[in-house]
Amino acid sequence: MTIPPPTAQTPLHRRPAVPGQPGEARSPGPESAVRLRGLTKTFGGQTVVDALDLEIGRGEFFSLLGPSGCGKTTTLRMIAGFSDPTAGTIEVGGEDVTSVPPHRRDVNTVFQSYALFDHLDVRRNVGFGLRRKGIDRGEADRRVAEALELVQLADRARDRPAQLSGGQRQRVALARAIVNRPQLLLLDEPLAALDLKLRRAMQLELKAIQREVGITFLFVTHDQDEAMSMSDRIAIMHDGLIEQCGTPEDVYENPTSVFAAGFIGTSNLMPGTYRAGRVHVCDGLAVPVSGEGLVDGESVSVAVRPEKIWLSELTDAMVRVPGRVAASSYHGATTQYLVDVAPGVTLTVLEQNLPRMRPEDRWTKGAQVELGWLPEHGVVLR
Amino acid sequence: MAGVERRPRLASVVTVLFFAWLYAPIVAVVVFSFNSIRSLSTFGGVSTRWYASFFHDDSLIRSLLASIAIATVSAVGALVLGTMLALGLERISSRTGRAVGAVTLLPLVTPEIVTGVAALLFFHGLGLKLSLLTVTLAEITFSIAYVTVIVRGRLAAMSPEVEEAARDLGCTPWQAVRLVTLPTLVPALVGAGLLVFALVFDDFVLAFFTTGVDPQPLPVRIYSSIRFGVSPAINAVGTVVLAFSALLIVLALVAPRLLRRGGAGGLDLITGGERS
Ligand SMILES: Nc1ncnc2c1ncn2[C@@H]1O[C@H](COP(=O)(O)OP(=O)(O)OP(=O)(O)O)[C@@H](O)[C@H]1O
Ligand SMILES: [Mg+2]
Repeated sequence: MTIPPPTAQTPLHRRPAVPGQPGEARSPGPESAVRLRGLTKTFGGQTVVDALDLEIGRGEFFSLLGPSGCGKTTTLRMIAGFSDPTAGTIEVGGEDVTSVPPHRRDVNTVFQSYALFDHLDVRRNVGFGLRRKGIDRGEADRRVAEALELVQLADRARDRPAQLSGGQRQRVALARAIVNRPQLLLLDEPLAALDLKLRRAMQLELKAIQREVGITFLFVTHDQDEAMSMSDRIAIMHDGLIEQCGTPEDVYENPTSVFAAGFIGTSNLMPGTYRAGRVHVCDGLAVPVSGEGLVDGESVSVAVRPEKIWLSELTDAMVRVPGRVAASSYHGATTQYLVDVAPGVTLTVLEQNLPRMRPEDRWTKGAQVELGWLPEHGVVLR
Repeated sequence: MAGVERRPRLASVVTVLFFAWLYAPIVAVVVFSFNSIRSLSTFGGVSTRWYASFFHDDSLIRSLLASIAIATVSAVGALVLGTMLALGLERISSRTGRAVGAVTLLPLVTPEIVTGVAALLFFHGLGLKLSLLTVTLAEITFSIAYVTVIVRGRLAAMSPEVEEAARDLGCTPWQAVRLVTLPTLVPALVGAGLLVFALVFDDFVLAFFTTGVDPQPLPVRIYSSIRFGVSPAINAVGTVVLAFSALLIVLALVAPRLLRRGGAGGLDLITGGERS
């Protein structure tokens, strides 16, 4: 993707959002906003970030998603320059910045704690970076006003951070970072401190702002919904390694590891042994799969998403398994069933409550059912 | 029940007696400083003659000015060194930091008489002539701990991310301290400075051991004059000092609140004052 870098002439909030198209050479210079090569960090013998390779395109909204302690913050701190990598290199905008101190990197951070300057009012907080860069007063004031407009805080310009609510502080932190128009904006769980409703609202707002300013966002979260709904691409991180990287759809539909399948959404995992086009899960349950690249006797798992399993209108093309409903729970838009298909193997099935369905159409506990899913929805994981 | 009702009354009587016991001598000093006669036991009418005699006593005035100078220089010196120490301790590894931090607190618990004697022996060993300089050096050494405790308390409440944010926005490490950390610390610094001033201004023990002959710090000067018979002028001096110290304490309590809305600052951290 190529989106022209912000220029001094275009007002921040009026710059047209240029749709990124592969191969379209709109801006000179490298295609990637950031490129990590073999980035490694060890703390006293413990490897926290393990030879990370990652490339993020210009203007991309990229999420780093992973459980607590997997090394997300550590990665961000190395990119920002607060922490020296044990090994590997960091390039920002094609320039190797591995040993450049933070104040000379064209990268800004939105901290989880917001880290606003309590002794300065909102306006001065936002203008802080511009002043440091020696941007002249009039220009700086104009850009600060624009940034505050963008985050809808123009009327709070003279307040101290202590007088603002959590959501407003969050937006000041965001304005303070984007006003500098960095090559790359790092956001470390910026919404984690907000309550659910405000968080949903801020997700939409953040995404809209990112589209408007066209700055590359590297967004850290451990909330998979957040990552799914906002990102152009997601990297799933686990124990310092990137397990999988791709578009939200790609990562969801085609998980490449057991961890990825379990971390994004829920998956029915059926571990077994591959033999002659089927994964033998247990006696009486052998799931046909496309056996591409598999050898007989290999231990694999089949993962099927709960909403990909059908309980009615099955077709011949489907993998079909008989079972018995062990539990059902009604969730408004959906109904969730737990179905025993073999001793010790229970599958979760999520059925849409469609308009034409009546209450008596729902399965009850103990009902004998037949489940089915299309072969391509049974993902084989090693 | 009668007993239950009487108990609060007893408590309030005790409280009144306690405060009377505590403040009667001070009230006496203030009252007798306005006495028109020389007596220290009978009040002969209101006059300001003892204030006049105080303000005409060059030696007393020199002592008062000397004490103000010592307290000011000590406050500034202790602020600079104590803040540097606090910032330094914040940056070294936590285990070393804790050990050094504990050592820093030692002057707070060392009996002042020991500190005084030690300072005297130390200056003697160095061959330094006792003077206002030696008093000031001793007072600064003694006061650093107060500043460090207060500043560290405020630093601990400050997220390390704040300084990182400053660096992220283009500050060198030094600029981050100057433009962000120190301004954030201002309320604590003001409180600490005023506290040190008040402590040093009327410090007797340390000053007694480390002062030269002339001018002597005011508390030492008062003490030596009492040895040759008590003049009611001492009451006037005492009242002036009292008023001055009270003003400083009030400033120390109020300034942080005025400078920064909310949160602990300055004296709060020592007095455990309620947070707004
Ligand atoms: N300065 C440090 N010294 C020693 N270990 C550290 C240090 N910083 C982080 N770690 C360790 O590195 C691991 C990863 O930490 P990191 O903060 O990067 O996790 P994270 O993915 O951001 O987690 P979270 O979602 O909880 O914020 C943790 O096990 C942590 O204990
Ligand atoms: Mg983290």
